[in-house]
Amino acid sequence: MTVSLYSVAHDLVALVLTAIGSVLPAPLSRWITNAGLITALGVIVFAAILLIASMLNTIVLIWFERKLLGRFMDRRGAMHVGFAGLLQNFADGLKLMRKNTFRPEEADGLGFYLGPTAYMVTSLILFGILPVSTGWNSGVLPLSLLLALVVFSFAPLFIFISAWSSNNKYSLMGGMRSAAQMIAYEVPLLLSVVAVVVVSGSFDLNTIVAQQQNYWYWGPLFLALIVFVAAMLAEMERIPFDLPEAEAELVEGWNTEYGGMLFAFFMLSDYVRALVGSFLVVLLFLGGWTMPGWVPSAATSFPLAGIVWFMVKVYIVFAVFVWIRAALPRVRTDQLLRVGWNRMIPLALLSVVLAAGVVMVKCLPVFGCLPNLGI
Amino acid sequence: MTEEVLTPETSGNDNPVLWVARPMATAARQFLKSLIRPSTIVYPFERLEDPKFREEVQVAAGKPIGVGAVWDNYRGVHALNIATCISCNLCSFSCPDLCIEMVAVPGGNPKHPKKCPQIDYGKCSYCGFCSDACPEGCLSMTTRYELSVTKRSEMVYSPQKLFEVFERKLPMNPIRLERPANEDAILLDAPLCIGCNACARDCPTQCITMMDIPKPEAPAGAKLPRRIWKEPVVNDSDCVRCGTCISVCPKECLFWGTRT
Repeated sequence: MTVSLYSVAHDLVALVLTAIGSVLPAPLSRWITNAGLITALGVIVFAAILLIASMLNTIVLIWFERKLLGRFMDRRGAMHVGFAGLLQNFADGLKLMRKNTFRPEEADGLGFYLGPTAYMVTSLILFGILPVSTGWNSGVLPLSLLLALVVFSFAPLFIFISAWSSNNKYSLMGGMRSAAQMIAYEVPLLLSVVAVVVVSGSFDLNTIVAQQQNYWYWGPLFLALIVFVAAMLAEMERIPFDLPEAEAELVEGWNTEYGGMLFAFFMLSDYVRALVGSFLVVLLFLGGWTMPGWVPSAATSFPLAGIVWFMVKVYIVFAVFVWIRAALPRVRTDQLLRVGWNRMIPLALLSVVLAAGVVMVKCLPVFGCLPNLGI
Repeated sequence: MTEEVLTPETSGNDNPVLWVARPMATAARQFLKSLIRPSTIVYPFERLEDPKFREEVQVAAGKPIGVGAVWDNYRGVHALNIATCISCNLCSFSCPDLCIEMVAVPGGNPKHPKKCPQIDYGKCSYCGFCSDACPEGCLSMTTRYELSVTKRSEMVYSPQKLFEVFERKLPMNPIRLERPANEDAILLDAPLCIGCNACARDCPTQCITMMDIPKPEAPAGAKLPRRIWKEPVVNDSDCVRCGTCISVCPKECLFWGTRT
């Protein structure tokens, strides 16, 4: 019996509803303590907890990036609102909420409002799919990795919808670039994931992490890791692959016409996707919430240890993304696409072959042996 | 699509891996360096003139800090010592922006009130001519540079406000009191003088003394000019060359010249 977030939410709702039902007259109390109602409310509470946790995490992630980037640029980042500027982004969010949101006269209404909303929603769905610790997800999703990648790749569609309906040349060019870039890098991304799937023998993220208990994949599948990180940078549209919103050329890219809360949707979704990208790197290559055997058991057995270690790894991975952002300049469109099609895909294919080799060899000198795959 | 123009010869690096690795290493080095303390300071909360930055500023400037060294030529808000001001007007005369006005300060003779400079920082260009011209060293420039105000009228610093700046004892420009060796002196065109005492009365240093001159014999058939038989004598060592006497002389008989 594993305790999942959903079961906690369900028990909480059941407790509250039973308490309310005990003081109400008979027909009402029977209706209130109905199992169906408890399940429905439990799902809503579960989703609310997940949403709040992920949004808080995203905002802290923005703070983390600002502070790190500041040190990379020899300054301090946000300083004054809250402890070390921790509340600065909440203040920024409040400011954006209070701003007027308007639509250009020539823009297409449906697409203009659908784009950011759907982009935000598809980005947030990913938090319900990706496990953070054992028993995080209540349901068993045998193809959760595949589902996550499918939802992740919806983004260019909505970006393109919002860019086109903005009816602005910069938006459209940014949207075109975004679509071209995301489609070009989708292929190596999926191929490098195939390498992980070949070694783990499963599309279930829980199983993939369980396979990495003593055998993190970043060593044997180092090539796949490199390809995955590079492709993920392009998917997240972070520097050096932030061509769709190249400020120097395209004003602000595909979100040029957006202001106020709609811009905040885009901004937040970008960081949600950055967080999800870090989640995926940790889940697929860095052992998820597991820790290697040499770590003392006291450090891995306290309550919520899985979540803590997982988030530590996620923030380390994100720090590497920030490091790359601080160091590298933006590439040209033709360079980006050439690298994507001519270099990344062969490397990804090579990594699949290497993964097959790893499965055949089973044991590597430093990394130890693969667990029994059961296939 | 154009041909690849970035060749090993033009790029300087022969290994594409280095194109990524070198900037990453540079960024990491910078990060580790600024992790201890970034080069920026948190300005309104810390200032470069704080003692804790003394050593760093010294290293950056390459010379010792303090009056006569790093702050030597810093020209910020003026400090005015009202007690030593002699109301000579030299600061006002020398100001190229006409931002210095001599206003009366309380105290002293109400009929001839003491006048001290009032500076309009909306006009001031911080050239420092006034503090160079000040013969008594009572007007000098400090290192204070924070002047933001909410109203334009607050840009005008009265003598009292400048005295408050003086009382804070901020680091100041060194006062240069030695005068040039071959400076012009005040000369008198004696036949024009009527002995009216205006110059001696208005001299801020009271270095002009009205000396009696002998009344000449009247030539035959002509009358002597109507005048007081006195002549100003300037004590050159006390004179600050403010030119007040020249400007107040009703007959324009005083002028700048070299004493022979």
